[in-house]
Amino acid sequence: MSLLEVRGVSAGYAGEDVVHAVSFHVDPGEAITIIGSNGAGKSTLFRAIVSMLATTSGTTMFEDRDITKLPTHKISRLGLAYVPAERHLFPRMTVRENLLLGAFPARPDPAREEFVFEVFPRLAERRKQDAGTMSGGEQQMLAVARALMSQPKVLMLDEPTTGLAPRLAREAYGALARLRDAGLTLVVAEQQVPLALELASRGYVLENGRFELEGTSDELAGNPDVQRAYLGVA
Amino acid sequence: MNVVDEVLDDTSRNVAAGRRGGVVRAYLPIVVAAALVALVPLRYEDSRSMMGIITVGVLFACYGVAFNIIFGSTGQLFLCTGALAGIGGYGSALLADRSGFPLLLALAISTAISAVIAGILSWISVRRALDTIFIGIVTIAFGLSFQNFVLGKGDWTGGESGIRVATAKDSWLTGEVAPYYLFLGLLVVYLVVYRLLQRSRTGWAFRALRDDGLAAELSGVDVSRYRVLAGTLGGGMLGLAGGIYVFTQSRVSPSTFEFGNVDVSVLVMLAFGGIGSLLGPVVGAAVFTWLDEFLEALGYAQAKELIYGVVIVALFLGFRRGVVPTVTDLAAKLFRRRS
Amino acid sequence: MKAVAALLDGIVLGLQYGLLGVGLTLIYGLAGVVNLAHGQIAIFGAIMASLLMGAGWAAVPAAIVGILAAAVVLLILDLTLMRAVYRQHGEHRILLGLLIMLGVGFIIDGYLNWQHPIEVLTLRIGGDPVPILGVNMRTGSLLASAITIVAGLALVMFFQLTTLGRGVRSVIQDEQGARLVGINPSSVRTFVFALSGVLAGLVAVTGAMTAPQASDFGVKLTTLALIVAVVGGLGSVSGAFLAGVLLGIVDRFASAYIGQFYTTVILLLCAAFMIVLRPSGLLGKST
Repeated sequence: MSLLEVRGVSAGYAGEDVVHAVSFHVDPGEAITIIGSNGAGKSTLFRAIVSMLATTSGTTMFEDRDITKLPTHKISRLGLAYVPAERHLFPRMTVRENLLLGAFPARPDPAREEFVFEVFPRLAERRKQDAGTMSGGEQQMLAVARALMSQPKVLMLDEPTTGLAPRLAREAYGALARLRDAGLTLVVAEQQVPLALELASRGYVLENGRFELEGTSDELAGNPDVQRAYLGVA
Repeated sequence: MNVVDEVLDDTSRNVAAGRRGGVVRAYLPIVVAAALVALVPLRYEDSRSMMGIITVGVLFACYGVAFNIIFGSTGQLFLCTGALAGIGGYGSALLADRSGFPLLLALAISTAISAVIAGILSWISVRRALDTIFIGIVTIAFGLSFQNFVLGKGDWTGGESGIRVATAKDSWLTGEVAPYYLFLGLLVVYLVVYRLLQRSRTGWAFRALRDDGLAAELSGVDVSRYRVLAGTLGGGMLGLAGGIYVFTQSRVSPSTFEFGNVDVSVLVMLAFGGIGSLLGPVVGAAVFTWLDEFLEALGYAQAKELIYGVVIVALFLGFRRGVVPTVTDLAAKLFRRRS
Repeated sequence: MKAVAALLDGIVLGLQYGLLGVGLTLIYGLAGVVNLAHGQIAIFGAIMASLLMGAGWAAVPAAIVGILAAAVVLLILDLTLMRAVYRQHGEHRILLGLLIMLGVGFIIDGYLNWQHPIEVLTLRIGGDPVPILGVNMRTGSLLASAITIVAGLALVMFFQLTTLGRGVRSVIQDEQGARLVGINPSSVRTFVFALSGVLAGLVAVTGAMTAPQASDFGVKLTTLALIVAVVGGLGSVSGAFLAGVLLGIVDRFASAYIGQFYTTVILLLCAAFMIVLRPSGLLGKST
């Protein structure tokens, strides 16, 4: 039984679909990646899944439950956590306050807080700092950490390495790998393909709003088209 | 898109509608409306009080056209129309009575002062890139300050009881029927000015900057110049109407121009009639003058404010374009179906 | 002596102004709605209390019901008229909300002036005046100030220390982010509307301890609330309190040394100048 299943979802803006009848699934404990360049529709797809955007057709199932028309906050409470590219942190609240809200509506659990600080030690140093004053990389970490506070069943990340220097990006993926190994189900949308293929076991390639390819990470890494378009191999 | 357009649903369509068609089609509505309005006194000329009421109705239609230029054309929410008219009113009265200026000169000077002050308010809003609500707050502050100044500076303004105006007291201006037609004439002039503005290059610029100020600026429209122009023109029109009114009444008091009396009424009339449409002010003024009288007759005069409130809420929740454009659209649809 | 009296009276008045401004600024910060009916709703609560007292109720229960009445009015507004406003976003929502609340203000003020034009709420607090710094302060003023200070502190603690309070701040700072962590902005809005109503009612009730609150005070209170909120910075709770106290002091000094009519003008000009010179107000958006 898939944890998250997207069936034939189409969505877009101002009457025009950007994503066309896309289907994929994620099983418990899996880490999958959705690869695509700018404008391919990755963010649109994610937004449609968590109802930040209305779907024009298709259904989304989470734990065999139809969440297509469910509002965003309810989807979050069911255990599907989404970290968008824009992060949507609370700028005038401290790191700690942002994390506490991540656990909403649950009471703040000290054990969970410690776990999160273990995965992201940099944040521990800054727990009293206002989120809005942190660097891009730190904000990215905080966004992921906040999503983790709710002990989600599935974590969806939209281009988690945006604005991160290569070293920080590798650090971030290191943290994600640890989470994956601890059993967290991951769906990661990426332009930085090598890191994503290393983390995930399976992937899909999104082009112009449609899945043009799918396969295991090895299959995708070995695919000449993928190599040409995303791996910088001529 | 400019927020005023979005919320006041398609009032730019009202403005655009005014630009279509040839000269006859453009000015015919004014002629027809003027003719209809001219006939009304035939019914009431025997009653001085009724004549007074419908004259005020035409006066408010004039105010409405001025406000239409300021708010309808360039989206500046001036909540000080009463004060601007009051500057014209108190100004002319004081200049004519106390300083011995001839009537026309007094009117001209006070009209100019209203125009300049309104222009300054526009200029400040443009310079500081003020959002609509902030323009509203600044202009309310100005308006209420003017009101308080008038109430407080008794030796100039007679305070709460106001002052009698001696100039032109026994002339034709203070007659029963004459003021009505005087204001009707003024209204026609104002409507013609509005129409001319709509169809001119200035009107095009107005529409452009209402739709999207930034885009207009980038394509070379001098947004600040047009906003200030609209403000100045509208302000002057308010001052002139206010000044003339004072002479027809031979007295002026704070209540003549207070916020609750002028600004609220103008807003409701125009919202009802259709902000941005040519005849919106006329229809709005007609309906609400009638409504006021109707309520008085029924003994519900005290409930006026309550009813105005209900109208505002209903208008902005549902019926946003206003009566005139809705009716015009409906008529157009009917005619299209026939042919 | 005159100056000290003006200062102390100013602080008492200023605390009231602050509470008035907070109610308005909360709704603006959270829902983007300029509540131009805030004062009218406050007075509505006062008049309800007055009517109950006229029917034989004791002061305290009547006052509590009055405060709840104000909260209920705002609650109803949020659940009904505001739904249309929430469907808009950004500046569109601001303008529509403002205009609709303007209409609601007329409805309430019109109703009160029509049906209860001579109703007035007065809460006489017994006891002799207490001398402070040589100025005799009436017990009513002191009690009103004490209640206001407690309310203010309670608000601050609520926002900083409770989960719900943090939830409210989160919706103000990033509505989409709040959704992502499982917060329903709609529920939060409803709660804050009711809270604003309680604050409004509280202002009218504590105001009645210092001076009679008449049914036509609504517009004046709304104007003051708006001035305070703007000077403090729309959306900032601490800004509203600070601005309130400062403006209260300005009010009393102007009244004592210049004159009643000019006092209102001065306050209005404070708001106007703040907008022109520093639109974000004294403390900006800093919840």
